[in-house]
Amino acid sequence: MFSALRGIWDNTYGLLVDDGQLAVGAIVALAITWLVASSGTDAVRENAGWLLLALVVVLVVANLYRAGRNARRRIS
Amino acid sequence: MDLVTLAIAATPAFIASAVEFVEATTIVLAVGITRGWRAPLVGTALAALTLAVIVVTLGVALVTVVPEKLLLGVVGTLLLLFGLRWLRKAVLRFAGIVALHDEEEIYRREVAQLRSQGLKKTEWDWIGTIVAYKAVLLEGTEVAFIVIAFGAKGVAAMNAAIVGAIVAGIIVTAIAAALRHPLTAVPENWMKFGVGAMLSSFGVFWFGEGIGAEWPGDAASIPIILGVFLAASWLAARMLRWLLPEGARVEARNV
Repeated sequence: MFSALRGIWDNTYGLLVDDGQLAVGAIVALAITWLVASSGTDAVRENAGWLLLALVVVLVVANLYRAGRNARRRIS
Repeated sequence: MDLVTLAIAATPAFIASAVEFVEATTIVLAVGITRGWRAPLVGTALAALTLAVIVVTLGVALVTVVPEKLLLGVVGTLLLLFGLRWLRKAVLRFAGIVALHDEEEIYRREVAQLRSQGLKKTEWDWIGTIVAYKAVLLEGTEVAFIVIAFGAKGVAAMNAAIVGAIVAGIIVTAIAAALRHPLTAVPENWMKFGVGAMLSSFGVFWFGEGIGAEWPGDAASIPIILGVFLAASWLAARMLRWLLPEGARVEARNV
């Protein structure tokens, strides 16, 4: 029973987090967007979605670049 | 909701769930072929029941109790985390840095392990039941999450997501039962790539809506967001190919 619960927890955590840095980066991007939207003018709030998209895209590309560099270091 | 609208609304949940059902089916097939079908079918039915309880209690509670803006923010966050995880892994697989998911290899490994455990004909096969239950429950948790996330927009969306997941389950199970072989021909990485981009796009869109952002054309912005994710992922895959032309085939957790 305990191992089944542990399995469910591990799987649920694994659902969302594969690479810790990517997950933390995404949370930071969401927090920045929320802060900008809640403290800016109406125009800023209305366009905050695009800011989030830009932050997340930069995050994904940077994270994959880091993964590529790590893999290259491992095999060299 | 007419049939066409239902089909469109159910498609994201259908594709995402199909990938998970393929993985669960591989394990259930391995159990059924090596140890007989009764025990794994009972395990599968019990897991499906557990998942139905999770979806109904959590899903209905979320849709009916949590305020809409908060719900969109929370679900957007979860979808983004979930989608980025799939997108990252799919891009790493396309670039040859992480090995492709091999259903055939998983099936062979599972069959060898199950055969080594032996089987007494007189007893109920608890090993077969538990292995099938665990596989369906663990992969099914992802299906439940997908259904809840896609269905969080309201009752109609929840119904569409449930229909999509159920249809995916029926089709994958029927094909696997007919072939009696793991579904190796399913382009899993392409599906995971598409679903990862789709989930990330929904995540950005809904989180934006949750914090009061305005999207031009409302949901019509989703294809644009999706296009941005696909373009960025394609560029990232090209960048990785340039970094490592021969690939690497390392464990995902090591990069």
